[in-house]
Amino acid sequence: MPGPFAPREARRYVGTYRPRIDGREKAAGRAEYLDDIALGIRYPGMLHAKILRSPYPHARIKKLDVSRAEALPGVHCVLTYADSEVAALKPTTSSWTSANTASYDKMYYPNLRDRKVLADYATWAGDKFGVAVAAESEETAAQALRLLDIEWEVKPFALSASDALAEGAPLLHAEINPEGNTLPCEPIGGPECYIDKGDVGAGFAEADLTFEVSARYHRANHSVLDTRGCFCYWRNGQLVFYTNYYQADQTRMYLAQMLDMPLNRVRVINPYLGAQFGRCNAGEQPFFVTMALLSKRTGRPVKYKMSLEEDFHDTRNAIDYVLRIGAKKDGTITSAHFTALGDAGGYSDHSMAAVKIVVKWDCVEALLAHIPHLRMESWAVYTNKIPGNCMRAIGNIQLNLVFGLALDELAERLGLDPLDVAVKNVSHEWEQAPNESLAAVLSEGARLIGWERRTAPGGGPLLDGSKRRGLGFSCHNCWHAGWQEQIRGEIQTTVKLNPDGSVILQAPMAEIGVGSNSCVVMACAESLAFLGVTLEDIHWIEKPDTESGLKDMVQTDSSVSYLQAELMPLVAAELSARVRTKAAPLLEVAAEELSIEEGRVFVTASPERCRSVREVLWDDYLVPVTVTVCKNAPEMVTGIPFEATFAEVEVDTATGKVDIVKLAVIHDAGTVMFASGAEAQQVGGQCTGVGEALYEEIVYDSATGIPLNFNWVDYTIPSILDFPEVEPSLLEVWRGAGEYGACGIGEGAPTATPRAILNAIHNAIGVRINDIPVRPEKVLDALARKEQGLPGRDEELTAEAKRVIEAASCVAKACTVTNASLEEAHEVPAGPDDSTSEVGEVEL
Amino acid sequence: MSGISVGIRPLDLSVNGGIHRVYVGLDVSEADTLAQVLRERLGLTGLKEVCDHGACGACTVIMDGRAVLSCMVLAVEAEGHEVLTIEGLPEDDPVVAAFAEQSEPGHGTALQCGYCTPGFVMAAHALLARNPDPTLSEVKEALAGNLCRCGCYQAIGRAVLRAAAVMRERGR
Repeated sequence: MPGPFAPREARRYVGTYRPRIDGREKAAGRAEYLDDIALGIRYPGMLHAKILRSPYPHARIKKLDVSRAEALPGVHCVLTYADSEVAALKPTTSSWTSANTASYDKMYYPNLRDRKVLADYATWAGDKFGVAVAAESEETAAQALRLLDIEWEVKPFALSASDALAEGAPLLHAEINPEGNTLPCEPIGGPECYIDKGDVGAGFAEADLTFEVSARYHRANHSVLDTRGCFCYWRNGQLVFYTNYYQADQTRMYLAQMLDMPLNRVRVINPYLGAQFGRCNAGEQPFFVTMALLSKRTGRPVKYKMSLEEDFHDTRNAIDYVLRIGAKKDGTITSAHFTALGDAGGYSDHSMAAVKIVVKWDCVEALLAHIPHLRMESWAVYTNKIPGNCMRAIGNIQLNLVFGLALDELAERLGLDPLDVAVKNVSHEWEQAPNESLAAVLSEGARLIGWERRTAPGGGPLLDGSKRRGLGFSCHNCWHAGWQEQIRGEIQTTVKLNPDGSVILQAPMAEIGVGSNSCVVMACAESLAFLGVTLEDIHWIEKPDTESGLKDMVQTDSSVSYLQAELMPLVAAELSARVRTKAAPLLEVAAEELSIEEGRVFVTASPERCRSVREVLWDDYLVPVTVTVCKNAPEMVTGIPFEATFAEVEVDTATGKVDIVKLAVIHDAGTVMFASGAEAQQVGGQCTGVGEALYEEIVYDSATGIPLNFNWVDYTIPSILDFPEVEPSLLEVWRGAGEYGACGIGEGAPTATPRAILNAIHNAIGVRINDIPVRPEKVLDALARKEQGLPGRDEELTAEAKRVIEAASCVAKACTVTNASLEEAHEVPAGPDDSTSEVGEVEL
Repeated sequence: MSGISVGIRPLDLSVNGGIHRVYVGLDVSEADTLAQVLRERLGLTGLKEVCDHGACGACTVIMDGRAVLSCMVLAVEAEGHEVLTIEGLPEDDPVVAAFAEQSEPGHGTALQCGYCTPGFVMAAHALLARNPDPTLSEVKEALAGNLCRCGCYQAIGRAVLRAAAVMRERGR
């Protein structure tokens, strides 16, 4: 039975174990999600929409006849790429931004605008394109799509990066790169060699040993239960738009800019979201625009909710990493050269974030800062597969799969403990190694898993005739601390203190499951306790609605909880001043002479002269006291804390099956805001970590380019029977700036898990498998190779990955757009803020 | 039944102790699933339609005391059976309370986004009705058809065992 964490500073609410504020309504089935609002019985006349999905991995519509579809009873509108209001739309991306609000001209990847609203071509089998139908039922809309008469141009396709890089490969996006399938460099990620510190050659020369390792991460799916969708209608010239994406303010900007409307003519609302895992960090979905147009044409409310199969819409980014590393005999890394190739799929989306940008933002200064010679080079290539967009732990989890391998391999080659090798090399840029946070995290993990039981690889006892156990770990930096969240601009909150002392809290953020709503209510109660306000007195407004006038906090980077909490002391100070001003005439002193404690206002010099706060508020006018606070995240640079996963596995060498005996997941959170919620993230994140490491995988038919398992029978996410014992542990070692000085831990919860499991498998059976998911056949193959003295799967992977990365490098070099686009100014359609911005000026 | 054209027939669904009449051929079709009719016609939106192929359990309701996937039952098949949805549970339901309140150290909460939760609650109810004192592995076996992508399984197991204890105590 795990013990509770011990807070550094005991508080009334913050840092405690308690039920979620929305527990009751969710458990009773009363929480409202998109699908519960967009109902015909609530919106009579509501139409259902469907969008054509490509049956081919690469195709174009040569000729289209919609007459039979239009004639089907119940069909209200067939909208196509040829319609003038569609054809007039600007090309876009589904990745304008992450946490901030971005306009068209300030989007992250101005030279990668490879998405169109209802394009006439498709780049992967399942791509939604070309034609959308609004009809009285989903079945009618689907039937109408079947009645389209389409003359196809079926094009050759490339399913693998290797095929897409081959000479004569079909071009996927000639409008982006007319000379090859590599993605041109974009302004934020910078050139292909985006980090070049010191002299890696010299670093390798001074090393006692150098070696290469590689790791392959696959295109795992978010597999969220609340499939993607939206619901919209027009009222008095205003577009009212519900989505189950988490960027209300950004969606408003997106729709306004795409439809050329003033911002106040678009209203976006996010109801409760049935989870998201990063998929909503792509809130600029072309289907939003399609639905707005369908609703405008028909004059009816329109609902679009994807089926599960359709909801295989984008995935995690598939990346191959090769890492050459050099070190001294004592385990000190002297040099590291990372090369990576992202398989973007049919659209670029956030591929550049995964292969470069977040690595640069999150890992280089936090994880790799003390490697004196460091070079990092990345490429990405289009293929005719489901695109990789944004998913929990984007970029970080792929990097960890190779870096955690290097640490383990280095320790093994030198006969050292990998925990010592990690502590020796890893620390934040502004801190020295050994890093106190990392050392504490690793020592806690070692204790929880029983690290002292670890044997040499394959050296454990044989159990039940064929099973062997092993231990492994991996570590990573947490993200984000306050200073890393300046990108958001102002964080905004409004608190209304009613005349009866009850509170309405408007801290706009989509509730996606992570518990930041509970956290902000706890922080509000903590700060307003002096007014006599308790947790139960606070009503949190659940739906971010752009009509509130406040920008919602985008649910990314796991920083929403504590950054909203950081505003509460400011709210408290303002409310204190306002209440004292109200009380001054009653107590016949100046407001400055009053104090407030435990719900009582009193004269500081003579505390017996007092009134209750509620008496003061219940005055002749009964106007609520309303305070709005807007403030940026703290600027003070405070470094970053660390996290780790420790795994014990049991591998059956006869069947190849891997069972996880136990995971220990340790986070230094800086300050734990909501202990039960934080542990839910630590434990729950392993559903992704374990699933991606062992079970989940999208499978394609190589002959046709058709995906075979866009469902949950064949794409297997962990059930309660698969889920291992997970022991969470929360630490408070590091401290950030501000009242609480917390750091995000939720997004990163699965980051170190796949590598921890892989290292444990190696420790159990003495062979390395570095291409996940580790299905039983891979284990058997790896064991058979060892027995037959053949090159290992890991060696073969390294050779293959190097070959493909080299091919990408050659193709990119031959393309004139590759780096040119970094300097080039891009044509930007006229917008309201043209005068103040330039492409590439995005604030990081 | 005057005024109803040929081919339209009434369908009486017994849900949460009341009879709800819908008309096949008019407002529902023979092909409509129980999940669709409960949500879209009766407005009982606690259950969720997600996979529509019996893989996730989010649409679980209780029919004649057994947990069923309402996406795998046609509405017309439910005629003559007693259907219980989460809206039919009492305000002080111990399973709902256990899921809502689960927060002890070491396991996290029994729900996060909450989308799968009504399905888990109903599956747990059906289990506890036939086995008031299950072991953890019996709980896992009974809930193996329900997916929680937020990964709250560990806390869900604890919540169900706790609800079982409360229900046994109440029954005593």
